[in-house]
Amino acid sequence: MSTAVNVKPVKEKVPVHLRVLRVVYYLIMICTVLLYLLPFWGTVTTSFKTAEEALTTNPLSFPEEISFDAYVDSFEELKESLITSVIITVGGALGSVALGSVCAYGLSKYRFKFDGLFFLLLSAAIYLPYQAILVPLLKTISNLGLYDTRRGLILIHIVYGMPMCTSMFRGFYSDIPDALIKQAMIDGNGPWQIYRKIVLPNTTIATVTVLVFQFTSVWNEMLFALTMGGFDCMPATIALNQMVGALSAEFNMQMAGSIWLTLPVLLLYMFLGKYLIRGYMAGAVTAS
Amino acid sequence: MASITIKDMSVSYNKGKTYVIEDMSLKVNEGEFCVFLGPSGCGKTTAMHCIAGLLKPQKGEIYFGDKIVTAPLKGIFEQPQERNIAMVFQEYALYPNMTVRKNMSFALETKKAPKEEINRRVDEMAKMLSIEPLLDRKPAELSGGQRQRVALGRAMVRNPNVFMLDEPLGNLDAKLREQVRYELKKIQRKLGVTTVYVTHDQTEAMTMADHIVLMNNGRIVQEGTPSDLYDHPCNLFAAVFLGTPKINTFDCKVQKKGEDYFLVHPSFILPVPEEMEESVKLFEGKTVIFGIRPSDLILVEEGSEGCISGTVDGVEPLGEAFLVYLNVGGQVIVFKYSGDKTSFSGQLSLRPNASKFHIFDKETENRIND
Repeated sequence: MSTAVNVKPVKEKVPVHLRVLRVVYYLIMICTVLLYLLPFWGTVTTSFKTAEEALTTNPLSFPEEISFDAYVDSFEELKESLITSVIITVGGALGSVALGSVCAYGLSKYRFKFDGLFFLLLSAAIYLPYQAILVPLLKTISNLGLYDTRRGLILIHIVYGMPMCTSMFRGFYSDIPDALIKQAMIDGNGPWQIYRKIVLPNTTIATVTVLVFQFTSVWNEMLFALTMGGFDCMPATIALNQMVGALSAEFNMQMAGSIWLTLPVLLLYMFLGKYLIRGYMAGAVTAS
Repeated sequence: MASITIKDMSVSYNKGKTYVIEDMSLKVNEGEFCVFLGPSGCGKTTAMHCIAGLLKPQKGEIYFGDKIVTAPLKGIFEQPQERNIAMVFQEYALYPNMTVRKNMSFALETKKAPKEEINRRVDEMAKMLSIEPLLDRKPAELSGGQRQRVALGRAMVRNPNVFMLDEPLGNLDAKLREQVRYELKKIQRKLGVTTVYVTHDQTEAMTMADHIVLMNNGRIVQEGTPSDLYDHPCNLFAAVFLGTPKINTFDCKVQKKGEDYFLVHPSFILPVPEEMEESVKLFEGKTVIFGIRPSDLILVEEGSEGCISGTVDGVEPLGEAFLVYLNVGGQVIVFKYSGDKTSFSGQLSLRPNASKFHIFDKETENRIND
């Protein structure tokens, strides 16, 4: 091609067919975003409506008058279970992240007998469908006297969150050069000191990523909450679900409740989003 | 500070099926600069890691001074953090989360040294290495040479029993490498700390070492001062590994004519110097390897007796000297010329310096003459 020699700056003239293509891309993207946001929009508008308006108007229409009644009422309704959720989530997420981190440190930086087998079994637990173990788990929890207690749910989340946390942390920790660990050893530090002074401070992003991941999955979890919880210990996911049946069809209440439930996770993503993206990328490149 | 003694050490990575180090015995004197030299995979870094306590050998004992630190068969093994050693890794391994000052003070803080003492020593060392302006920076903000100096400073600030360096100059460019090489040796002499230095670069070994330990295939080939190794290589491997340009070698037959012995090559005949006759005569009629270093060849009148003659193949000017490549009967040899001549062509004759002959047994490749 003889024209290939005359390369002009891209800015000056984009061929027409490329410009058309670009418009099409944007249209597709905008449509996709709208499609995803539509239900959320409906949730938000409905939550600000009165019970009557919520029943009589289009769910997507803007509320005639903004009313906070639904928020106040639904919060009153969900208050106790939200507290339960917070306790379970904080306990379950912190516990599994702490254990997973230590476990991954040991597995990625030290060699010991059967370490490979140990990790294999541990990662197998990630792919275990929870439904398959529900009955024996329920029996165990009852025998331990932990049925319908916050402690019981925390324990379950720690145990079943740990393998995933370990596997995520292991990816991050294998990025730490071995020379750094050896150097710290020579500088007079034992394994725990190295973990505390070298490994943790250099992997804040990893810790945040795994913590948010774990926080979200425990907060949103329903299966264990439904089977191992009860009236004394009812996480918010279950309580919200029960509002549907208990109070006929007060859509505004349900939607406001949904917002209450989503809020912590949403805030977490908003504030820690930049860490998460960096964290996911780092993990993606090095995942073994 | 301490001397290091290694007795019959063997290391295996696969439970004794194959050994990466076999029966290594060595003594490094107090305050000595000892270089472990060898091609990659010869076991030099492994040996150093054993001394540091990062690796546990299968057999053998290691002493720091009179204190036993490793003896697997007696169940003695001191952890690296208990050995008071300092190490510089090739990749520097600076702690990315800490400033330069913190990096340097980290080991002392772990040892719970008094704060003033720590600051004094860090400042002193920073001054010595001229890294004072960098003390508040993080490793990511430093250049390669600066990181290297910080790593050295971090190791030396500790006043260790033994100072270990694993190819510390490997990541530097040629010019910086020369400069740091000189500084490093100077500082080591000033501090008088026992040093083990691992490298595959024979120039580094020759220029810095008090004591070279040449290794190959997990065994010590030869040890001694740089001039010991250079002037009296114990076998062909040692002769070839040390010295640039490489030593010239020829397969020659030992022949007796009258009372004298000669080294006979298809392209030349050299008389065996008198002092070597005693050891060479056992090889009469057999093939030996004759080695001569490029700087031990002297340019003489063409056609002189006892000379190696060849045609000029190429010339490399070095500035202060020339490397001249000669084709001798199909084999290219090199000699270093530092006289007044500036152009080389056609046929040249070289006389090997009779006192610098290196003669090796063709079969065992061991040195014959002393």
